[in-house]
Amino acid sequence: MENIIEIKHLSKSFGEVKAVQDISFQVKEGELFAFLGVNGAGKSTTISIICGQLKKDFGTVIIDGQSLDGNIDKIKNEIGVVFQDSVLDKALSVRDNLQSRAALYDITGEAFRKRLCELMKLLEFEDLLKRPVGKLSGGQRRRIDIARALLNEPKILILDEPTTGLDPQTRKTLWDVISTLRKEKNMTVFLTTHYMEEAADADYVVILDSGKISAQGTPLELKNTYTGDFITIYGVSEEQVQVLGRPYEAIRDAYRVSVPNTSDATELIIKHADMFNDYEITKGKMDDVFLTVTGKKLNGGEKE
Amino acid sequence: MIGLGSLIKRNTKLFFKDKGLFFTSLITPLILLVLYATFLGNVYHDSFAMSFPEGMEVPEKLLDAAVGGQLVSSLLAVCCVTVAFCSNMLMVQDKVNGTRKDLTITPVKGTTMALGYYIATLISTLLICLLAAGAGFLYLGKVGWYLSGKDVMLILFDVFLLVMFGVALSSIINFFMSTQGQISAVGSIVSSMYGFICGAYMPISQFSEGLQKALSFLPGTYATSLLRNHAMQGVFAEMKADGYPKEIINGLRDVIDCNVYFFDQKVELSTMYLILSGSVVVLIGIYVVMNMMKRK
Repeated sequence: MENIIEIKHLSKSFGEVKAVQDISFQVKEGELFAFLGVNGAGKSTTISIICGQLKKDFGTVIIDGQSLDGNIDKIKNEIGVVFQDSVLDKALSVRDNLQSRAALYDITGEAFRKRLCELMKLLEFEDLLKRPVGKLSGGQRRRIDIARALLNEPKILILDEPTTGLDPQTRKTLWDVISTLRKEKNMTVFLTTHYMEEAADADYVVILDSGKISAQGTPLELKNTYTGDFITIYGVSEEQVQVLGRPYEAIRDAYRVSVPNTSDATELIIKHADMFNDYEITKGKMDDVFLTVTGKKLNGGEKE
Repeated sequence: MIGLGSLIKRNTKLFFKDKGLFFTSLITPLILLVLYATFLGNVYHDSFAMSFPEGMEVPEKLLDAAVGGQLVSSLLAVCCVTVAFCSNMLMVQDKVNGTRKDLTITPVKGTTMALGYYIATLISTLLICLLAAGAGFLYLGKVGWYLSGKDVMLILFDVFLLVMFGVALSSIINFFMSTQGQISAVGSIVSSMYGFICGAYMPISQFSEGLQKALSFLPGTYATSLLRNHAMQGVFAEMKADGYPKEIINGLRDVIDCNVYFFDQKVELSTMYLILSGSVVVLIGIYVVMNMMKRK
């Protein structure tokens, strides 16, 4: 897989505030890339630079083999963005909104009608076409936001906290659509989110803290590096668990034992084979990774 | 310019869909018309009557038409600029609700976006000001009609030029605004101040000499004078035909700013047009350049 986004030594300051400090990372074509960080970590600044809305101070940004410097208009044609809050015109109908935005990519007339049909089929919003965007429910509006981001058939879809505030059903629908697009169109998805379960599904994760990259890797690499494993043992007494000599916690019908890594878990199981009749080994969660790396918890957008 | 037509359509649609914005813009000239007809009209009438030498008979219809011409020209001079400020709110609303981001991630150029806002505001402001001009013509028809077809066309052309000026000025000022509160405050300040500094509420000839000189540097002064010249041309022609002395007519023209002086040099109508259209070109140029350099 080739890199579709390459960022090297990117920096951006607003007066005294260093929003982004010398960050470098790559996003491979077709992958789901997650960008994690609390509010103010520098995620939105980086996205705004990629989208050509902010000028960088230093560094290079290469999108699909083209440098951002001097190719901004070409690059804008390859990017679609779903913003955290719907930014469509609430007073206008869904059709008027999509038509006015499509024209900005020079998609008009028959080309627009064709694209609209494709998007209506994909996102099932034919019945909403004449309704003002301001009268739609949160989930319906999100579907239209995605349709708007996909108007220009982008190679890179940037999702800026797309599921914040959505109900689980709508969140699932959104991810189903994105998954279909990735499979069928090999679309690269650049995601910022506060939901760790969404980040756990990513192919690659970058954690940003105070404008700097604190950690990066696949979810597995991050979990292996920054968290241990957990062995959940069922049908044993607390005295038996204490014999293992590892930290543990009691849960409803079992005990969860913390181990530094999977090989340590294997050693324990071999040594105390008699008590491991019903058990499971799980990796640490992305929440634990984030907490270890930044010392902060991500909780629906709030820093703890 | 890819997307310009679509942006103009979108911006104009949003203006007329926002009933609050539309009626606020429409109500400004209506309030001014009522204010002039009920209050300022009497002041102007008395002022006119006293301008003639004692014993000289002036037909009431001619006097009413003169007052009406002054009222209508003042009304149009003020509302072409104040309505522009009321109508030109979308560029700030787009910043406030984040829509601006959705427009700037597209390949559309900053200059196209700027012109989209400018032309859409021009259309909506022009529509309201033409309605105001229509109401003004009806009022003149009622109190005394002395306008020729050419005068009417010139008044409409003056309105068009002044609206272009008002929209360009409001676009530059609103460019720096980022909240609804700021833009409302600017609208209120402009609405209350502009009528005074352009000579609509009170003729500039009544101000102190220093202030007159300072105001002669503002393009709005000449826009008001153009409208006044064309709105009162018929009345002065009738006076001349009725045999009123040339000195009295010229004196009246001086008093009500039909004649405007730049450091004692009388400014011709053609020069006034040059100043106004030149200002429009310069202001639009500044606005476009500001938008080209916008990316932070």
